[in-house]
Amino acid sequence: MAGDNSATKYSLSGELDTTFRMRTTIDKKTLLPIYEYARLDLTNNLSHGAVASFYLGAWGRADLADKSGNNFTDGDLQYAYLSYRAALNNTIINLGRQFVTEGVATERVDGFYLRSDFAAGFGSSVFAGAPVISEPDFKGGKVLYGTRISQTNKKDYTLGLSVLKSERANKSIYREEEGLDVWLHPMEQVDLSGRSTYNSLTEGWMEHAYVLSVSPLEKIRLSVDVSQINYHDYFFNMTTTALSFINRPIDPNEKLFAGGVTISYLPIKNLTISTDYKSYNYEIAKNADYFGGKASYTVPQSFAVGFGAHRMDGRIARLRYTEYRGYVSKVVGHASVALDVTNVGYDAAINGVKNSFAVNGSTGYELNEKLKIGASMEYLQSPDFDNEVRGLVNATYIFDTKRVKGGGKNEK
Amino acid sequence: MRSKLFFLLALLLFAICTLYACTATHSMIRKHPESLEGITLCTECHSGSLGAMNHRATDFYKKHGIYSGISAQACVICHQESFCSDCHSRKEGNKPSAKFFTDAPERTLPHRGDYLSQHRIDGRINPVLCAKCHGRQNNQGCTSCHR
Repeated sequence: MAGDNSATKYSLSGELDTTFRMRTTIDKKTLLPIYEYARLDLTNNLSHGAVASFYLGAWGRADLADKSGNNFTDGDLQYAYLSYRAALNNTIINLGRQFVTEGVATERVDGFYLRSDFAAGFGSSVFAGAPVISEPDFKGGKVLYGTRISQTNKKDYTLGLSVLKSERANKSIYREEEGLDVWLHPMEQVDLSGRSTYNSLTEGWMEHAYVLSVSPLEKIRLSVDVSQINYHDYFFNMTTTALSFINRPIDPNEKLFAGGVTISYLPIKNLTISTDYKSYNYEIAKNADYFGGKASYTVPQSFAVGFGAHRMDGRIARLRYTEYRGYVSKVVGHASVALDVTNVGYDAAINGVKNSFAVNGSTGYELNEKLKIGASMEYLQSPDFDNEVRGLVNATYIFDTKRVKGGGKNEK
Repeated sequence: MRSKLFFLLALLLFAICTLYACTATHSMIRKHPESLEGITLCTECHSGSLGAMNHRATDFYKKHGIYSGISAQACVICHQESFCSDCHSRKEGNKPSAKFFTDAPERTLPHRGDYLSQHRIDGRINPVLCAKCHGRQNNQGCTSCHR
């Protein structure tokens, strides 16, 4: 979570996260990768409330035993961009590698992003760049660009229209999607949000997905979600073969309509009890229902306990199972411990096994304000492993240096 | 034809500049004035669009993608960019997760338990849930089996 930097001229904050993982794969390889994640935020508070910043996030991996990927080392620049935020009109200009979420677009791009509010509640954004694809062997388009226009009343509603287009190197169109996004809040007790997306290349709706939340009483919340997905339009030109549905048990022309309802009750501030039901209706495959409930008691940064039980009741044996999950965590002084247990019982055995069990124990210790260490161990019995143990050791170093107006330095 | 296009572009630019000049909304604050811990009960202080983003609501996880597409500048009031990228541009496995176990087991995480077995079921029930993160990126792990 971020702190207040408004009184300072410059601030530099960051985080170095070192994680050493241990596990054995299904083909008996020993994986001992060490990861380094780095985050850096450099902010300059300009005159009149404007802010110029530079954000950077990157990671690297080195394998100390067998290869955990295609190579013994790997790494990625997650984001690195310059940002200007004006004091008025929510005007933002970003330049560099960034994560853009604007209506139909949820994309990482190397490029620019520009947004601003206009009069009468109108707002607009535009972005363009090269799509960032983690699989260099797959052609994910050469150029990606899009825009979103919205009209909003902050208390009541936001309506948005968005367009996303991507071209290959030979100028042919790789993606062309349009979207309508909706947020309606006509009264304090009612909230509707969702979006519809259209694929212009296949000339069909990809998805309609909406969630309606109603709180008739202060302690009760009713949530209804409906979605309709056309697989041919939604998964068009996806790069992973897992979602091409060729030689898979899923028909590439499947249509899914899913509807669900969740009722939650908060008898006291930190306790939530909920029950939920969701129905999956397929045009080609056989239908399934998912239902259950959970209870959780959470005091932030102090204590959390929860238990849930759910049943997936599909019309085919593979989609019938019962799952249970329980967890407890406690913070004592500078130390924290957590235990998380999951059990899934399958009606029909997978690889001759009818049960999957996972238990995770974690502990952390805050050595000081800047340095925290932790360890986590997970034990599994599953259809794929008789016994599997995974572990990690983690150290996180957080720094935050501020230079106040007038040249003084405040470091914590 | 060119002069007509130029005129339309000039008119559009004029309209945008006029709309911008008429606007006098203050930008959202850049940082939340109070340091917040854990999963936040936004409705303790906020109503309207910010109250609707209440993170303790049981359906917040379903809605967070919609909210980020509508008002990403609201997310960055409290969250660093790395908070999104920890899940959305991660290429290595997140089990066990330093982020979701030790600090907050109550958080929603789609890959809990024995996910090698479970992903075959989840993928058949609703493959869109896989595609959101693995459709066009973060799919190096997928290709080790799905060739």
